[in-house]
Amino acid sequence: MSQVHASPRGEPLLEVRDLRVHFPTPDGVVKAVDGLSFSVRRGETFGIVGESGSGKSVTCLTALGLINRKSALVEGEVFFKGRDLLKLSNEELQKIRGKELAMIFQDPFACLHPMYRVGDQLVEAVQIHDDMSRKAARERVVELLAAVGIPRPRERVRDYPHQYSGGMRQRAMIAMALLHNPDILIADEPTTALDVTVQAQILELIERIKEEFQIGVILITHDLAVIADVAQTVMVMYAGRSMELGARDAVFDKPLHPYTWGLLESIPRVASKGELLVPIEGAPPSLINVPPGCPFHPRCPHRFSPCDDQRPDFKDRGGGHPEACHLSAEDKRRLWSEREARRTKVAV
Amino acid sequence: MSQLAEPRTMTAERPGGDALVSVRNLTKRFPITRGIIFQREIARVHAVEDVSFDIFPGETLGLVGESGSGKSTTARLITKLIDATSGSVVFDGQEITGYSRRQMRPLRREMQMIFQDPYSSLNPRQTVGQIIGSPYAIQGGERNVRRRVQELMNRVGLNPEHFNRYPHEFSGGQRQRIGVARALALSPKLIICDEPVSALDVSIQAQILNLLEGLQQDFNLTYLFISHDLSVVRHISDRIAVMYLGHVVEVGSAEELYENPKHPYTASLLSAVPQGTGGGHHRVVLAGDVPSPIDPPPGCVFHTRCPKARMVSGSPDEVPENCRTEFPPLGEVEPRHLAACWYPLKAGEELRQAAHR
Ligand SMILES: Nc1ncnc2c1ncn2[C@@H]1O[C@H](COP(=O)(O)OP(=O)(O)OP(=O)(O)O)[C@@H](O)[C@H]1O
Ligand SMILES: Nc1ncnc2c1ncn2[C@@H]1O[C@H](COP(=O)(O)OP(=O)(O)OP(=O)(O)O)[C@@H](O)[C@H]1O
Ligand SMILES: [Mg+2]
Ligand SMILES: [Mg+2]
Repeated sequence: MSQVHASPRGEPLLEVRDLRVHFPTPDGVVKAVDGLSFSVRRGETFGIVGESGSGKSVTCLTALGLINRKSALVEGEVFFKGRDLLKLSNEELQKIRGKELAMIFQDPFACLHPMYRVGDQLVEAVQIHDDMSRKAARERVVELLAAVGIPRPRERVRDYPHQYSGGMRQRAMIAMALLHNPDILIADEPTTALDVTVQAQILELIERIKEEFQIGVILITHDLAVIADVAQTVMVMYAGRSMELGARDAVFDKPLHPYTWGLLESIPRVASKGELLVPIEGAPPSLINVPPGCPFHPRCPHRFSPCDDQRPDFKDRGGGHPEACHLSAEDKRRLWSEREARRTKVAV
Repeated sequence: MSQLAEPRTMTAERPGGDALVSVRNLTKRFPITRGIIFQREIARVHAVEDVSFDIFPGETLGLVGESGSGKSTTARLITKLIDATSGSVVFDGQEITGYSRRQMRPLRREMQMIFQDPYSSLNPRQTVGQIIGSPYAIQGGERNVRRRVQELMNRVGLNPEHFNRYPHEFSGGQRQRIGVARALALSPKLIICDEPVSALDVSIQAQILNLLEGLQQDFNLTYLFISHDLSVVRHISDRIAVMYLGHVVEVGSAEELYENPKHPYTASLLSAVPQGTGGGHHRVVLAGDVPSPIDPPPGCVFHTRCPKARMVSGSPDEVPENCRTEFPPLGEVEPRHLAACWYPLKAGEELRQAAHR
C-alpha cells in the first residue's frame, strides 16, 4: 500500500470547530470535551490518541448525535458534507447515522444482540435505510461478510454472535458499518479487545476498505504504535483538549508538546531494547477539576510562569502542525532533542 | 526491611546454577461437565499441555501468548492455586506437586502474585495498612507492623501517611502499587506478575514497570512476568517463553527471541506487533483463528495456520506429514534457544505470507 500521501487528499469531509461537551453531574460539571477543532478528509485515516478519559469517545459520539443533548451542554460545529450535524433534528441525524457516518466500537458484543442470528441482524440493518427485499438484503450481507473475510459466509450468517470469535465479531461489525457505503467510518478502539495477530488482520482490513472505497477513517486508540502504523494524521488529546495535531511523521519525529514527549517516552518499543522508560509523573486530572492554564502543567517538567494560569491557544505556529503549549518553538526543539539524546544514551 | 536487601548477584544471562522453579511436563485439562445431579464429563479444555521451563534466581522470565493460550493457568499451577493433571513443579529444590495445603503454607510466602486488576484483587473494606500489613500481623507488635508497612509504602511510591485510606481512594496506578507492596511484604523469592500493567494508562504503565525493575534489583527478586503485550515483555524480560494453545513453543533470551525467532508462530506474532514506525515492515498476517482448546489439532497445534509448513510443502493447502501427526519436542535449536518445531526458521529467514486466506 502506498504511504506517500502524507498530505491528505481532497476537501474535508468532516470538520469539527471548537467543540465543547460538558456534562452537569451532582459532583460538578464534567468538561469531557473543551474546545476541540479538527478535520478529516477522504482517503485519510485520522488517528485520535489519548489516555483513558481524555474525551476521545465523547467527541465521536457527539459527532454522531449519540450524546443526549438534554443531559449535556454541547457547543460548537460539526460540519459534514456542508451541514452542521449539531443543528439537525434527531430524524435527520438518524438518516445519516449508520449510513453516511458509520461507527464500530471496541466491544462488538455490545452491538450484536446475543439472541439473534448475525445474518438476521445485518439484514435488518440493511433494511433500515434501504428499501430492499429480504432476499436482496441477504445477498448483500453475504457479499459483505465475504468482503470482510468471514469464511463460508453463506453458512455463517446463520450463527449466533457467541459462535463467532472476537475477531470475527469485529469483522461482522465492520461489515455492518459498510452496508450503506459510508463516507466516514469511526472506529473507537476497534482492536483493543483483540490479540495482536487478530488486531493486525482487522487493521489491515480497515486500511483496505479505506483505500477501496476512498472513505475517511477516524481511528481512536490509546496505542501509539497502532496510530503510528496506520494513521496519516494524528491528534493527541489530553483532558478534553487537543495538545497537538499534525501529519503522522511530524507528530512522531518532531513532536511539539511535552505531553506527547512524555507519552512517547513511556512506551517500550520492541525495536529498542534497553531504552529507559521515563514515565509521566502523577496521573491525568479529573475532568471536573481540570487544572487552570494548561491542563498538563502539574505533570509537565518544563512548566514556567504562564502555564498555571493562562490557557495556551491551540494554533498553528507554522508548519501545519498546530499545538497548545507556551514554550517557544526554539525551546521545544532544544528540549525535545535533549530528551531524545538522554533516551538513546541509556539505550547504548 | 534490611534482611530483604541482598545485593543482586545474578546477571541478566542465564546463570547456569540451580533453577528457582523447574516446571516439567506440566499439564492441566479442565473437565467440562453437563448435568445437574449426575455430572458427566463431556469434554476437556486442554489449557496447559506438556509444558517445561525453568526460572533462574534473579531473572525475569516473560511468558507471552494470545488470550487463552494458558499463561494464567500455568501461573496458577506453579503457585498451586489449582492442581495439575500431570507433570511436576519443583520450587527452590522442593518437589511441590503432591504437597497438601498445609505443606504449601510455608511456601506460600515465598511466591506471591500481582494481578492485572488492581481493583478486584484488593479487599475494599480493608485499609491500605491492613492490606499490606496483614502478613505481618501474625507476628504481632502493632507499632512495628505499622513502621514496616510505611517503609514498604514509601518504597513503592505511596505516601506513607495514607496508611488509613481505603483502596477506592486511590487511582489505578496507585492501587497497583498497593498490590506490589502487599506482594513484597513477606520477602518472597518469586513474584508472578499476571498482566500487571495491562489495565493501566500508558503514562502509568511506565511508572509501574520502572518500579518492578527497581525492586528486583534491591531485593534480588525473581519474576515470572505474564503479558500479551510483546513490547512490554521485551522491555522487562531476560528470557521469554512463548505459548500457543497450551504449549510452550519457544524459549530463549529476550534478545535472541526477538531478533532471531525460531518458531514460525513467534515470528508471526512478532511481525503482527505494531512497530510504531509507520508501517512498511514485513508483516505475516496469520490466516484464521486460534483453534479451540477443547479440540486442539493433532500433531503440531500450530500446523493449521503455519506459514512455514506451507512453505516446506510448497502448497498453500498442504503441510508436511510430521506436522500433522506428531507434536515436535521442545529442543535446543541454538545454544539456550529452544523451539518446538520440525522446521525451525533459520537465521534471517523470512516467512512468506501463507497463501491460504
Ligand atoms: N454521560 C456522561 N455523563 C458524565 N460524564 C461523562 C459522560 N460520558 C462521558 N463522561 C466523562 O467524560 C470524560 C471523557 O470520556 P470518554 O469516554 O470520551 O473518554 P475516552 O478518551 O474515550 O476514554 P477511554 O480511553 O477510557 O475510552 C470521562 O471523564 C467520562 O467519565
Ligand atoms: N476453571 C476453568 N475451567 C475451564 N476452562 C478453563 C478454566 N480456566 C481456564 N480455562 C481455559 O483454559 C484455557 C487457558 O486459559 P488461561 O486463562 O490460562 O489463558 P491466558 O493465556 O491466561 O489468557 P488471557 O491472556 O486471556 O488471560 C482457556 O481456553 C480457558 O478458557
Ligand atoms: Mg473511549
Ligand atoms: Mg490470563
